[in-house]
Amino acid sequence: MSPTWSASKFRRLGRLATAAVILSVAPPLLAHDMWIDPTTFVPEPGTIVGLRLRVGENLLGDPLPRDPALINEFVFEDGSGRKPVVGRDGADPAGLLRAATPGLIVVGYRSNPSTIEQTPEKFNQYLKEEGLDTVAALRARRKETGVTTREMFSRCAKSLVLAGPASAGQGDRLLGLPLEIVAERNPYVIAIGQELPFRLTYENRPLPGALVVAINRLNPAEKLRARTDNDGRVRFTLPRGGMWLIKAVHMVPAPAGANAEWASYWASLTFGLNDTL
Amino acid sequence: MWSWTVIHRLVIRAARGIAAFIVLCGSVAGAHEIGTTRVSVVFGADRTYHIEIVTDAAALLEKLEAFAGRPPAPGTGLEETFLQRLTVAFDGMDVHPAIEYSVAPPTDAASPALATIRLAGEIPRGAREFTWTYSWTFASYALTVGRESAEAAVTEWLEGGQTSSPFPLSSMVAPSRLTSAWRYFTLGFTHILPHGLDHVLFVLGIFLLSGRLRSVLWQVSAFTVAHSITLGLSMYERLAVSPSIVEPLIALSIAYVAIENLFLSELKSWRVALVFGFGLLHGMGFAGALREIGLPRSDFLMALLTFNAGVEAGQLGVIGVAFVLVGLHCGTCAWYRRRIVVPASALIACTAVYWTLERLSF
Repeated sequence: MSPTWSASKFRRLGRLATAAVILSVAPPLLAHDMWIDPTTFVPEPGTIVGLRLRVGENLLGDPLPRDPALINEFVFEDGSGRKPVVGRDGADPAGLLRAATPGLIVVGYRSNPSTIEQTPEKFNQYLKEEGLDTVAALRARRKETGVTTREMFSRCAKSLVLAGPASAGQGDRLLGLPLEIVAERNPYVIAIGQELPFRLTYENRPLPGALVVAINRLNPAEKLRARTDNDGRVRFTLPRGGMWLIKAVHMVPAPAGANAEWASYWASLTFGLNDTL
Repeated sequence: MWSWTVIHRLVIRAARGIAAFIVLCGSVAGAHEIGTTRVSVVFGADRTYHIEIVTDAAALLEKLEAFAGRPPAPGTGLEETFLQRLTVAFDGMDVHPAIEYSVAPPTDAASPALATIRLAGEIPRGAREFTWTYSWTFASYALTVGRESAEAAVTEWLEGGQTSSPFPLSSMVAPSRLTSAWRYFTLGFTHILPHGLDHVLFVLGIFLLSGRLRSVLWQVSAFTVAHSITLGLSMYERLAVSPSIVEPLIALSIAYVAIENLFLSELKSWRVALVFGFGLLHGMGFAGALREIGLPRSDFLMALLTFNAGVEAGQLGVIGVAFVLVGLHCGTCAWYRRRIVVPASALIACTAVYWTLERLSF
C-alpha cells in the first residue's frame, strides 16, 4: 500500500464520517446551496471544460441539468473577453467552455428567481443557519415569526478555472451579478495556510456584516465562517487543498408586485486549491 | 445487493436521456430547480404497489456513502440505509418495501450513469391514501402516481424531503373486471360514435348499397370478421403496418364503397369479399386507436374483446339509426336509389377522396 493511497483514503474516510453526522442530524431543508462544479479546475489550454451545476448541502449535490427557463446569465471571462457558456438544454454538465486563452477563467451563472413557500419553523431555522440575523430581527419586531413565508431566491454562482500556468497577475473580477463573491488574490498562487481575502458585493457595492462560509470538499463539516467588514471583505486561511466553496446569502424585502415577501440572493464561488504549492 | 463497483465505473457522463424530459417539464414547473431524479408509483390490479426511482448514480452514491459514514462495500446493507431517507405510507402508516436496483449503461461518453431503484410491496387491506417522502435529492423532482393501465397518472412536483399530497387509492387501485370491461366496451362504442366519422361513413356506404336487410347483414358480417382478425393480430404484435399506409387506405376504401354504390344496385359476392378486405384495413386502424388508449396487462384479452364488441355496437347503432330514419320508410320506394343512395354516396365519396389526399400529405 503506497503512502499516497493511505493518505487519500484517510482523508476520504474523515470526510465521510463528518458528512454522515451532518446528514443524519440535519432535517431536510428547502433552501440549499448551489455551486458550479467544473469537470476540472486546471484544464490544459485548448481543452473543453464541463461546467456542472450542483444543488445541495455540504458539497454533496444533485445535478441541475441546463434549464433555459432558469438561466438568466451563464458566461465566462478569460483574457480575450466575455463569452456565453454554451450547452444543450437538459444536459448535465449544464455548460461547456473551451479554455482557449491561457490564464484565469472566471465563470458566472445567474438564475431567474424561483419562489418557494416555507413553514415558519423552517424559515426561522434557515435564517439562523444562513446568518440572516437582520431579517430574523425584523421579522421578530413585526411579529412575523409564526407566519408562513414566500421567498423568491436567485442564484449567483461563480467558479475560477485556471488554464496553463498560474501567476499573481491573474485575478478574479466583478462580473456584475446581484450578489457576488470576488477572490481578491488568485487562489491558484496561494499556498495552504496563506490568507485569502474575498469581497462580497451586493448590486456592485461592498456588503458589510454578511456571513461568508468556506467549505472544503474533503471535510465539509469543518466550515470556516466570517462576517464581512465595512468594506465587504473577509479573510480566510484555508487549511487544506482541493475544491473550496465560498458562499453567502443576502435577503431583502421582495420588490412590490412580487408574489413573495422576501427576495434572497445566493452567492457562491468555487475553485481548486493546490496542496503542492 | 448494491454493486458499488459497477456504479463507480459508470459515473461521469451527461444526462441525454433526461434532456427531453427536463425541457418538456421546464414549462410546467416554471423556474424551479429541477434535478434529474424521477419517481413513478404504479398501483397494480393485484393490490400491489411498484415504485421506480431513476436518479444520477454518482450523486446518490456520494450521499449514501456520507450517510452510512463509510465507503461502500458489497454486503454492507446499504439498501437499508437507502430506505432510511424515504417513506412509503398508507393512511399515515409507514410500510417496508422490498428493494432492488440496477444501473443503466450510459448511452454515450457524455452521459451520466443512471441508477434505477425499484421498491415493491402489497397495499395494506382497507388502505385509502398513499403518501411519499424522498430525501435523497436536494432538487425538485416529479412524482407520478398512477394505475397499471397508465391513463390515470397524476404528477406532483416535490422538493427533496417534502411529503407528497395524499393520493386517494380509490381512484388509483385498478377497478373490478366488470367495470374495466364496461369501460373498454364504451371506448369501442365511442370510437365509432361520435369519434369515428370515417368508420361511420364506411358503414353508411355499406348500408346504402341496397335497402334489403340481407345485403346489409352479409357486408357487416364480413367487415366484422375481418376487422376482428386484424385488430387481434395487431394487438398481439403479430401484424404491424404503419398508420401512414393504413389511414389513407381506410379513406380510400370508403371512397371506393361509396363510388361503387353509384354503379351497383344489388349485392354481388365480390363486393362481400372486397368489404372483407377493407375490414382488414379498418381493424388495423382500430388497433392504432386501442394502442393509444392502452390495454391493461392483467386483462388484455377481456379488454380487447370488449373494445371490439363496443366497436360492433357502434356500427350496429349507425345502421340502426340509418334504418329507422331512411330504410324503414323508403328503402323499397322507387325513388330511394335516385334521391337517397346516389346523392349520399356521392357526398361520402367526395369526403373520402378529400381525406385520402389529406392523409397522404402527412
